[in-house]
Amino acid sequence: MYNETILVVEDDIPIKNFICYTLNAGGYKTMESGTGQGALSMLITESIDIMLLDLGLPDIDGMEVIKKVRQWSEMPIIVISARDQDKEKALALDTGADDYLTKPFSATELMARLRVAIRHFYKMNIKNQQTVFQVGSLCMDLEKHAVTLENKEIHVTPMEYNLLSLFMKNMGKVLTTHYILKEVWGANYGTDTQALRALMAGLRRKIEKNPAKPRYIITEIGVGYRMTDE
Amino acid sequence: MDHRKKKKDYIKEALLCIFILSIATGVGYLFQYIKFPDTNIVIVYLLAVLLTARYTKGFIFGLTASIIATFCFNYFFTIPYYTLSVDNPSYIVTFIIMTFIAFFTSTLTSRVMLHALQAKEKEAETRALYTLTNRLTDAQSMKSIAEIAVETISEYMNCQAACLLFNEEGMPEGSFIQQVERGRQVRRETDEPEELKHRFSGLRTDFLIGGEFYDWPIYGQEDLLGLIRIPGNRGASITGIQMRLLHSMIENVGIAMDRLHSSMERIRDRELIVQERYRSNLLRAISHDLRTPLSGIMGTSEVLMNMTDKKDSRYSMMEGIYMDADWLHSLVENILSLTRLRDGKVPLHKELEAVEEVIGDVLQHMEKHKPQIEIKAVIPDELLLVPMDARLISQVLVNLLDNAVKHTKGTEEISIEVVKDNNDNTVKFYISDRGEGIKEKDLPNIFEMFYTSKEKHADARQGIGLGLSICEAIVKAHGGTIQGGNRIDGKGAIFTFALPLSDDRKEDGNV
Repeated sequence: MYNETILVVEDDIPIKNFICYTLNAGGYKTMESGTGQGALSMLITESIDIMLLDLGLPDIDGMEVIKKVRQWSEMPIIVISARDQDKEKALALDTGADDYLTKPFSATELMARLRVAIRHFYKMNIKNQQTVFQVGSLCMDLEKHAVTLENKEIHVTPMEYNLLSLFMKNMGKVLTTHYILKEVWGANYGTDTQALRALMAGLRRKIEKNPAKPRYIITEIGVGYRMTDE
Repeated sequence: MDHRKKKKDYIKEALLCIFILSIATGVGYLFQYIKFPDTNIVIVYLLAVLLTARYTKGFIFGLTASIIATFCFNYFFTIPYYTLSVDNPSYIVTFIIMTFIAFFTSTLTSRVMLHALQAKEKEAETRALYTLTNRLTDAQSMKSIAEIAVETISEYMNCQAACLLFNEEGMPEGSFIQQVERGRQVRRETDEPEELKHRFSGLRTDFLIGGEFYDWPIYGQEDLLGLIRIPGNRGASITGIQMRLLHSMIENVGIAMDRLHSSMERIRDRELIVQERYRSNLLRAISHDLRTPLSGIMGTSEVLMNMTDKKDSRYSMMEGIYMDADWLHSLVENILSLTRLRDGKVPLHKELEAVEEVIGDVLQHMEKHKPQIEIKAVIPDELLLVPMDARLISQVLVNLLDNAVKHTKGTEEISIEVVKDNNDNTVKFYISDRGEGIKEKDLPNIFEMFYTSKEKHADARQGIGLGLSICEAIVKAHGGTIQGGNRIDGKGAIFTFALPLSDDRKEDGNV
């Protein structure tokens, strides 16, 4: 049903087998590499659409692979990390990765992330003309400048509006704190994560039934936030 | 002994004085015989006075000699001879001038002599200090500093000096080093070290007079580092200059000890950093080496489960593999948290975190692992930012919720509630369930490491009793408190932990 080719860069063989099996069962074609160098040369010679990249490779740092790939390609990169160092995840995302998976992850999670990445990639190529976004019963119309929840209009401040529209445009994708600050507060952004938290708390109290169990915007502790896409 | 020696010196100098004046008189007679004018005799006497002042100590002999010389001239060489009277009154002037000249020359000479002596002493002092500091720079341990100090001071003070070191707790060591003779030192036992320490704590004077020794304290920048002990009889006869030198020497010893202390501390710090690096490398290795295969096991068993019919007996076996791997994984996470805390030596990486986000994260985690369990969550309307290590606090919440899940059946309610307490400026987390509660006899021990209830659960894995003790360690490291007990409003257990809202850095350093 799909015909994307996915390059799985992972040095642990059981995990690689598990990933490849899951992807094949899901209808993707897969290629494998156990090293970063091998992955880079395969990316040049083969036609590959998406890369799943383990950050702890035996030869080169995963971060280097991302940097090199981003020099010529916008292909979706999903990072796999066994480390619980959030800073590395955030760094990988800021370097150019599209998403991340923390080990251990389930097949369901893997497939979900992959779907988001692919959808995003194609949407980006259509040069985003979309002005109406819908997720669950939350709806945002950029032309009318309106946000509705269960068909009732809700009032948001200009900052909250900017924040929400950023998430709407990046539905399903994890956005780092760093990136959000830059996009919402502008180029001369600070590092005031507290301001972002306060803004987020305000927005959540307007769109979420229970801010402790968010339905729409989920916190990725230490990394950033992600808007659900279903 | 000293006194007698001084007397002997006096007699010797007096004899010298008389001898020189006699020679001068003899030369005078010779001059008179060959009919030299009187003035030459006066000059000879002046020379005699000068020589006396030069070769005797102090002013007394020079002054006496100048007066005696005048009288001698008067007695032996002015007419009438052998009387103290004079015929020619102009001699009176000669006498007066002669006395004055003799007076001044003797004083000047004596002063020059005194200065030379002082300079010599100063030089000896400087040399002693220089030798001491020079040798101290090479010292590599407190013991060798003490040895050098004892040797140099003994040599200079000409006595059997000793040095007693104080240990790092500020207590005198059990033994001290004493110089017995040149090049030989012995170790002797310290008498009543507590008593000695006590006497020094209230010391107002420069030194302490004890039974066998006079003790001079060696002060470092912060505290008392040791004592220099001079035997009692020598201590009593110490002169001002020697005292001054002794002080400078002791000061130098103190500086050397301080320097050694700080360099040892630097080395220790460096070792600690290296150890820390080893530890974090080890942690990274553990997390990677254990988690990677566990992820592999979990992923593979999941895939196998999906391939198998649920009614097949192999399905439940695979599920067992998956559950065990999952359990091991959470154990690894817990052990990692614990090693990260480790005696609280590594300062926590605290940041202001929004409580609702941490709770959201935890609930998401629970949803992923136990999708059939519903957890109620209540948070205040106000955004609460609490300084914490979000990973560790998540671990606390996960452990407490896991516990609640373990002790409840099916639809029994599990809830988590957060309340801000303005009274003591804390945020309180309540994790409660409607399960079986905690057995009365287990209550006092629940936070103990490796404590597990004797009552076995048919359907639950026997834990190793780490979960709650890790919770306690984490909360304590945050400067908070944790309690566990049974609910008063019906059945079930409730755990409460409080985290301070303000980040007290000072407290941070102590935990």
